[in-house]
Amino acid sequence: MKKRRTLWIKSGVMAITFIWIFLVCLISQTHAKPNYVQPFNTIVTSTQQQAIEYLENIKTLRSSTFWPNIKPALFLENIKSTVREPMNIYPGSGTNFCGYGALTYLMLQDDPLGYAKLLIQLYKEGKASFGTVNFNPSDAVRKEAGLLKFKGILDIHPAEQMWYLSLAGHFKGYLNFFNRRFDSGDENNFWASVNYAKFNRMVKKLLNYNVNAKGGDIFRPRTGDLYQYISNKMETGRVVLFINNRIVHRKDHVTIKLGVPTHFIVADKITKENGVITLLYWDYGHRTQMELSTAFFKRIVFGITDCTKTDKDVE
Amino acid sequence: MLNRYSLALLLLGTISFIVSCSPKNISTSYYYQNEKVLDKMEETYKKLYQEKPFTVAFTDRKFDNLSLEIITDSISYIYQFNIHETGLADTLTAFKLNASKVVALIQQMRTIRCTWINKFDYYLYDKKNTLIMMSIKPVTLSAPFSYKRFYTLTYFPKPQYFDSSGQLLDKRRAESLRKINGEVFKRINSKVCYTISGNFR
Repeated sequence: MKKRRTLWIKSGVMAITFIWIFLVCLISQTHAKPNYVQPFNTIVTSTQQQAIEYLENIKTLRSSTFWPNIKPALFLENIKSTVREPMNIYPGSGTNFCGYGALTYLMLQDDPLGYAKLLIQLYKEGKASFGTVNFNPSDAVRKEAGLLKFKGILDIHPAEQMWYLSLAGHFKGYLNFFNRRFDSGDENNFWASVNYAKFNRMVKKLLNYNVNAKGGDIFRPRTGDLYQYISNKMETGRVVLFINNRIVHRKDHVTIKLGVPTHFIVADKITKENGVITLLYWDYGHRTQMELSTAFFKRIVFGITDCTKTDKDVE
Repeated sequence: MLNRYSLALLLLGTISFIVSCSPKNISTSYYYQNEKVLDKMEETYKKLYQEKPFTVAFTDRKFDNLSLEIITDSISYIYQFNIHETGLADTLTAFKLNASKVVALIQQMRTIRCTWINKFDYYLYDKKNTLIMMSIKPVTLSAPFSYKRFYTLTYFPKPQYFDSSGQLLDKRRAESLRKINGEVFKRINSKVCYTISGNFR
């Protein structure tokens, strides 16, 4: 009797969870609103030079008791290198940090000084504020930062480890519902996952952009001519695409695959010739160029987030 | 009575077939059966990669289609080819890769059903090391009900640490296992390890 009741409760909870996930997916299907836009590449919140000067003025950095496995010299060197070469940031092989990587790539181009100050404060004080966001990473996260390994060059980038882990610990979406507390190895699983609505929320809260999003975690965006839509958006702002990477970078030979998005990329350039789309994008420490048919492109794109500067940045 | 015996024999035969194809069985012998070919492929790839970085992955079960990634200083280029297309050699030449040697490596990969070959950077005491990874899909790993279908080998540049059951250990935290892409690797010899995985990369 008790067993049967438990089974009923479990089934009920599962059903409610699925309905809830479905509703969240529907809600995350936000639509573009017309707004005033500025050419994105002429306006930034802070400059790279400002960030470099700020970091050069920090002569010594004491080791932080909050981050026991991060060496201060390596930490400072890492922030300097990311500010100088934003393209080289690397969210780690095999991790679920791609969404945080795309966000950081945008942040380093729009507000590198803000990024540098935030990370220095987080390192020194163990917590930090940025706009309305208050980062206060858990003890487990603080202990793990600096110890991630076999993630490629992220192994020796402690500032990036600290940042991605802090972002994953702070921002939560429905994919993180069943795994909200960090345990070792969680950087590779649902604890760190980013759904589309969560990504857009992070961009809105951390960056000085007007964010317009189309698409979702289940349904593809309705844009008419997808190529033309993305192309137009790239003329006025930065565009992040949420794509199904499992059919772009196949990892197995399974022929029938669930069509779900898994990866965030920052679009740099898009062209079309004879029905073939050439997409140049940033992800994982470098730019990649690939050629896709129009049909395949339509199949992989689930979310289009375009970020344009706000009026207040013009000053 | 006879029918019962026949049924029992049939059941036993089926179980034996499935067990004989299990990942556990293949992992112990596959490397040594194909040692020369695998080592030669690793060596060839390492040399070609030094000249110009690239990775190759076969993307279909028939090993007819491949994904070629050519890595330059500024951009990585991803191309999809059918193995019989002339465009493959032309593209390799255009990027100044040694087309004949790369095509020969690709053919070799196809012959032994190697799905992927890649170089992987890892860091020990803040120093960069590289290893070569290759995944193979042996015919016997296509057994029914077997989810883990790929045999992945790692070639380390230096001898590694292992626990008493032959599992790869993390040097920095000697008591913990070293996982690569979330997989635990096992010892073949001091420098070569393997795992059986559901994904080839």
